[in-house]
Amino acid sequence: MQWLDGLVQGVLLGGLYAQYALGMALMFGVMRVVNITHGDLMILLALVGISLASTFGLGPWSVLVVLVALGGIIGIILQRLILNRVVGADPLPSLIATFGLSIALQNAMLQVWSADTRSLPSDGLAQASFQLGPLFVGVLPVIVLGTATVLTAALAVTMQYTRFGRSLRAAAADVEAAAMTGIDPKAVYAGATALAVGILGFAAVFQSMRATVSPADGAFQLIYAFEAVIIGGMGSIWGAFIGAMVLGISQSIGFRIDPGFGILAGHLVFLIILALRPQGILGKG
Amino acid sequence: MRVQRQTLSGVVAMGLGIVALLAIAAMPFWASQGLIRDVVELCCYIAVAQMWNLLAGYAGLVSVGQQAFIGVSAYMMFVMAQLWGINPFVAVVLAMIAPALLAIPTYGLLHRLDGPYFAIGTWVIAEVLRLGTSVFGYVNGGAGMSLRVMTGYSPMERAIGVSLLCALMLLVTVGGSYWLLRSRYGLALIAMRDNPVAAASQGVNVGRLRFLIWVAAAVGTGLAGAIYFMAQLRITPPSAYDPSWANIAIFIVMVGGLGSLEGVLIGALIYFFAERWFGEYGATYMVVLGLLTVFMALFARGGLWGLICKVVDAPWFPTRRRLMEDRT
Repeated sequence: MQWLDGLVQGVLLGGLYAQYALGMALMFGVMRVVNITHGDLMILLALVGISLASTFGLGPWSVLVVLVALGGIIGIILQRLILNRVVGADPLPSLIATFGLSIALQNAMLQVWSADTRSLPSDGLAQASFQLGPLFVGVLPVIVLGTATVLTAALAVTMQYTRFGRSLRAAAADVEAAAMTGIDPKAVYAGATALAVGILGFAAVFQSMRATVSPADGAFQLIYAFEAVIIGGMGSIWGAFIGAMVLGISQSIGFRIDPGFGILAGHLVFLIILALRPQGILGKG
Repeated sequence: MRVQRQTLSGVVAMGLGIVALLAIAAMPFWASQGLIRDVVELCCYIAVAQMWNLLAGYAGLVSVGQQAFIGVSAYMMFVMAQLWGINPFVAVVLAMIAPALLAIPTYGLLHRLDGPYFAIGTWVIAEVLRLGTSVFGYVNGGAGMSLRVMTGYSPMERAIGVSLLCALMLLVTVGGSYWLLRSRYGLALIAMRDNPVAAASQGVNVGRLRFLIWVAAAVGTGLAGAIYFMAQLRITPPSAYDPSWANIAIFIVMVGGLGSLEGVLIGALIYFFAERWFGEYGATYMVVLGLLTVFMALFARGGLWGLICKVVDAPWFPTRRRLMEDRT
């Protein structure tokens, strides 16, 4: 029973990780860029959301709308100011630029919000639960998982069937050829980054409702997102979702073996998959 | 016709370098305890940054997890000296087996990852080691270890040991890199830095060279870690596997100048004094460091040394081959 519970909780935790991982899979797939500030931006959005909620008395759903919009705007600014200048075949400039920005952002948040852990009031949602057979399941984690599934499906459909999605895939396959057919790569990149950071708005609200956030947490979220993307298979949207599930389940089962072993179990499963199936679960070739 | 590599500035710099190495080795006879501590710290920064420079600047391997090698060799040294009773100064050198052994499988795993993902992969390795060490009872888990055996040595003996090790570390990391860059492998490395595909077409075994550089950098970084924590006398998992080691290396190399030995020395001095003068501003200081790194990556990839080179051509470590015409 303990293990079944671990499995269910792991899938629910995976819902949260999927929301971190989607944006990273999208950005890497389209631009071959890994944004090291990925986790820090999520923390920034969460802290802004918490401050908004306490200052203006906003409920969690209004905060969600504001944060997703704000995430999109931050994404476009990030693309215009920094990523456009460093995107290219050489991974070093983009890594170093976003690495430096991550240090700056973490410490700036430390100045503004201090090192305290905070969370977003959820109107009792975080405590609500229902009984499913022999297990008790939280209402909020189920909402998180549902949201993650809808986001993944929507993103996959967008990539597959819309004009914007086709231009994203074209730019991912060959930027220069895409430009020749009339696609503006900078507009496509800005769209992808805006979408990626916008999705972090969802993750920010749910993370700060489910647990706590503090300025230094971003690095861990970045690593989880990265592991989910690699486990699932690079460049695949559903792969990121499945990778997040695998990571969530590994951590959750690990915690039940020994509380000190949870996060480590996630890392070890990641390394095992990297050794045995480097292309990821859904990866080709 | 002949090929000339040495320049006047190179000869002068070589002379000054040898004097500096001897001065560091002889520190116990002229420097105060406080100064020795500062110089040891500076030397560790130089070594760690130079190893990162070798990886990122020549081999095209960007790592943000070099703290894995710092921690693993420092812990190995503590275990050898404290638990196995090996002379701690000898243990520093023997402990290099640990980063070398760690580097081999990590490369095997991580080289499958594409450029930027390789970097985050190195970070995962460092996290695994930090978490693993925290639950490893043999090294006292999260509570860490103290190097109590050092009480068996007088302050003078300790100072001599640390100073000699420091001089050795600089010789191996900076001198070794210089030697490597001037050798046949240096040509291959520089070709690889400029274009790995073209280098491979000229017969450079890019994969093998990357692997060798990865292992060498692990050992050099590990040596700095063992010496740094020998001077600290105490180690805990969060301090041993501290991600700020990666920050330091990246800042030093990016500000000083990627792909040059001179840049590392300049960057390390800047970082060292910035830390002394502005470190008290804490988070604000780190914001400035971070933004400066962004600025360098966006607008001045060659760093300060790159800017200096545009004005004067006086390399301290000349690696270029120049064709001279003999007039007879």
